[in-house]
Amino acid sequence: MSERDEKPTTNLRKDSGPKIGGQKDGGQGNRGQENRGQEETPTTRLRRELPEEVPSEFADASEEPEQEEAPAEPEAPVLTGRQRLLMGLWPPRVTRAQLIVALLLFGLGFGLAVQVASNSDSDSALRGARQADLVRILDELDDRTQRLEEEKQGLEDQRTELENSSDQAEEARKQTVEKERQLGILAGTVAAQGPGITLTINDTKGAVEADMLLDAIQELRAAGAEAIQVNGVRVVAGTYLTDSGKGISVDGNKITQPYRFKVIGKPQDLEPALNIPGGVVQTLEKEQATVIVERADKIIVDALRAVKRPDYARSSSQ
Amino acid sequence: MIAVLGLVVGVVAGLLVRPEVPAVVEPYLPIAVVAALDAVFGGLRAMLDGIFDDKVFVVSFLSNVVVAALIVFLGDKLGVGAQLSTGVVVVLGIRIFSNAAAIRRHVFRA
Repeated sequence: MSERDEKPTTNLRKDSGPKIGGQKDGGQGNRGQENRGQEETPTTRLRRELPEEVPSEFADASEEPEQEEAPAEPEAPVLTGRQRLLMGLWPPRVTRAQLIVALLLFGLGFGLAVQVASNSDSDSALRGARQADLVRILDELDDRTQRLEEEKQGLEDQRTELENSSDQAEEARKQTVEKERQLGILAGTVAAQGPGITLTINDTKGAVEADMLLDAIQELRAAGAEAIQVNGVRVVAGTYLTDSGKGISVDGNKITQPYRFKVIGKPQDLEPALNIPGGVVQTLEKEQATVIVERADKIIVDALRAVKRPDYARSSSQ
Repeated sequence: MIAVLGLVVGVVAGLLVRPEVPAVVEPYLPIAVVAALDAVFGGLRAMLDGIFDDKVFVVSFLSNVVVAALIVFLGDKLGVGAQLSTGVVVVLGIRIFSNAAAIRRHVFRA
C-alpha cells in the first residue's frame, strides 16, 4: 500500500499523540481528511479535530479533488485512488503493513466463515438466539404443551366415554340377541333343544279327538313345557287344533296317528303332569289309545314357523 | 494483495475447519464480524485516500471488535442485548455504507 502517504500522517501522530482519534474512528477516512487540512497547524490539531469532524464528512465529495492533489505535491506523480488500489494489489509486496492487515483480514474472514457456517446449520436455529428469546420460546412451548396436554385429556375422556357407550351398546345388542333367541323359541322361529320328554299316542281306533290333544298340550304347558312340536308342526301361542276327518289338523296341517309330541321342559315335571290320576294319559287310555311317555336328555324341536307380522296388533310399549 | 490473500485464506480456513464456536463467544461473534468489516472498509477508503496507516488500522480494527463485543455484553447484562446489538449493527452499517460510497467515488469516479 501507499507508504508514501504515511509520512505526513505518522509524523503528526508522533508529535501530538492522536491515539484517541485513531481509535475512535474505525475507518480512518474522516481523520485523514482532517489531518491533511491541518498539516500546517499541528499544535491545534487535537482541539480542533472534534468540531470539524462532522462537516468534513458531509463535505466529502467537494473536498475530494483537493485531497487527491495534496499528497501529490511533495512527490512527482499524481495518483488517483484507483491507481493506488491497483498499485496496492499488484505487484504483491511483502511489507509489515501488508502482513499485519493480512493477519487481521484472515481473522475477519475466519470469523465470517465460521459465523456463516454456524448460522446456516439447519439444526441450530436456536443456537444464535439470545437468552430472552430462548426463554420466550420455552414459555411458548410450555404453553403449547399444556394446551395439547389438555386437548389430549379431553380426547381421552371422549374416547373412554365412547368406549363405555359402545360397550353398553354391545351389551344391549347381546341382550337383544339373547332375547330374540328366547322369544324365537317361544314363537317357533328357531329350533330348540334340551332335556324333555316324548309323548307318543297310538290311536288305532281313531277315537282321539282334537280336544284331547289340546288337553295334553295344555297340561304340558302348565307343567312348564317350553317348546312343543306335534308330528312336525310347531306348537306356538296361536296354534289351534281341529278335527278333520280321520285325523286332526294342527294350524291347518293335517296330522295322523301316531301322534308324537316332542316337548322340551323339565322331564321330572312333565312326566308326572301327564300321568296324574284322571290326567291326560288316563283319559286317552280310556279311549283305547296307547300312550307312551319317555324321558330324554336331549330333545330336538326343529319344526319352524315363519315369522308372521301381525296385521293389527302393534306393540304398545314405546 | 497479501491482505486480500489473507482474507481469502481466512474464509477458506473457516469453511474447511468449521470449528465449534464456544458458547461464551457466540453472541459476540456476529457483531464483532460486522465491526471488523467496518474497520476494513474504513481502511480501504483510507488507502484510496492515500492516508492508510497500518498502526491505525490495527488499533481501529481491534478496538472496533472489542467495543462492539463490549456493547453487546453490556446490553445482555442490562437486558437490552437484542435492541443494543441491533443498534450497533445499524450504526456500523451506516458507516460501512458511507465508506463504501467514498470507495466507490474513488474507484468508479462516480
